[in-house]
Amino acid sequence: MVRLDSVGLRYGDGPEILKDVSFYLQPGSLCFLTGPSGAGKTSLLRLLFLALKPTRGLIRIFDKDVSQVSRWELPLLRRRIGVVFQEFRLLDHLTTFDNVALPLRVMGQREDSYRADVMDLLKWVGLEDQAQAYPPVLSGGEKQRAAIARAVISKPELLLADEPTGNVDPVLAKRLLHLFMELNRLGTTVFLATHDLKLVSQGKGSVLHLEKGILKAA
Amino acid sequence: MTRSKKFRTGPIIPPEAAPLRALTVTMTVMCYLACLAIGALILIDRAVESWTSGLSREVTVQVRLMQNADNDKELAKAKVLLETTVGVTNVEVLEREAGAKLLEPWLGTGNLDDLPIPRLIRVTINETAPPDFVALDKQLKKSVSGASLDTHRRWEAELTRMARALSTLSYAILALIAISAIAMVIFATRTVLDANRQVIDVLHLVGAKDSYIAHQIDSRFLRTGFTAGLLGVGLGVLTFFLLGLSGTMGAGGVADASRGLLFAPPEIAVWSYGILFSVPIIATVICLVTSRMALIRMLRSVL
Repeated sequence: MVRLDSVGLRYGDGPEILKDVSFYLQPGSLCFLTGPSGAGKTSLLRLLFLALKPTRGLIRIFDKDVSQVSRWELPLLRRRIGVVFQEFRLLDHLTTFDNVALPLRVMGQREDSYRADVMDLLKWVGLEDQAQAYPPVLSGGEKQRAAIARAVISKPELLLADEPTGNVDPVLAKRLLHLFMELNRLGTTVFLATHDLKLVSQGKGSVLHLEKGILKAA
Repeated sequence: MTRSKKFRTGPIIPPEAAPLRALTVTMTVMCYLACLAIGALILIDRAVESWTSGLSREVTVQVRLMQNADNDKELAKAKVLLETTVGVTNVEVLEREAGAKLLEPWLGTGNLDDLPIPRLIRVTINETAPPDFVALDKQLKKSVSGASLDTHRRWEAELTRMARALSTLSYAILALIAISAIAMVIFATRTVLDANRQVIDVLHLVGAKDSYIAHQIDSRFLRTGFTAGLLGVGLGVLTFFLLGLSGTMGAGGVADASRGLLFAPPEIAVWSYGILFSVPIIATVICLVTSRMALIRMLRSVL
């Protein structure tokens, strides 16, 4: 599913943020990436959702070497990956419904073909009543759930989440964890970056620990 | 909320972010200037056609008054010679006053009886089978004392050269307008992209293709180009109309030319209006193609 071999990353002429990172994610696995703030978790996720290219090393996603992926293939690969951003990145001018439906819309699907699926998912994440609300009026937890719904609406094979419980209370954090575990049970490979060790202990997955850009098996 | 409820999906790129009002205004001005340049081109073209067709249908024979010669007899000889020349369809000897009238701008309206004003013969020729002018000129000089042939060729060449220079200038203005319009559209495209950078990043990350994102934006440029084109042509036609009202009929100048442009015979008007109303189409194509190419190029620089 995902393989990294001796991956290094630096921004411009700055210091190396990731150093010789190597790991393999099995299809259908659940994996937590832990580490303190500034350890390089977000940078590693950005490499995985193809928003960055590594300075060195090899990344293979869905058996494709990302350095060889053409501009034309890139969107097709990204459609197989769902991403939950730490800062949500919902579009403020679109309703919750439209935000969640965005991945389907960019694939060219018509509104009447995905309406029922989007409403079902909104119901599943408890946002059915907020379907026509705009992100600025949603609470932090609601935004988080909307971002998760957007990440999974297209049934991605790989789900990446950056601090998905960072802005919610412990009760909601537990609910969201169960949601990820349920998705994993349905076959999605889930990779969660978090510094919440309590959350990690509640989940049943492998753990990778990142510290100062160096990856260690926890 | 029920599932049967119809949602109205919002535009993916927010319309209020980086509106294209400034581009609409500048493109309207460009289209207006393009209309004026096109109007000038049409008028120059028609004027040249009218001059040259008039000049190429006629030639003039001038018979200078010679001392010790029977000038009326020489004039009659010239007339006979011309009437028997193949390719000549009509010969008209102009009265002495006609020659005097031509000299009025230089000599005034005083008594010109004492001056040896040359007599003029207007010769209408068959345009498709004109006479051999070199042979005719030789024949006239040989047979008629003081006669010379003026084919207006030098005058026609001067007019054509001037008209060509004006036409080239108009084409150059049109080219500059098009280049400016392209530059403005590229600048506006960059502004729209910069204003929507966050949205475009999210669209990329959820799997949108560059062509999909470009389509969300370039449809606005299409509307802008068409609106600006129509406004520009409207203002251009209004300008010609107001110019047409500004002078008296038949007085010549810009007023008559504007009237000639707007109220031409149908076979000419179809062309004139067709070319003028091609401006919105060209403006739309410039906006659409330029913004699409600029967008794809700029989007490719984003991972």
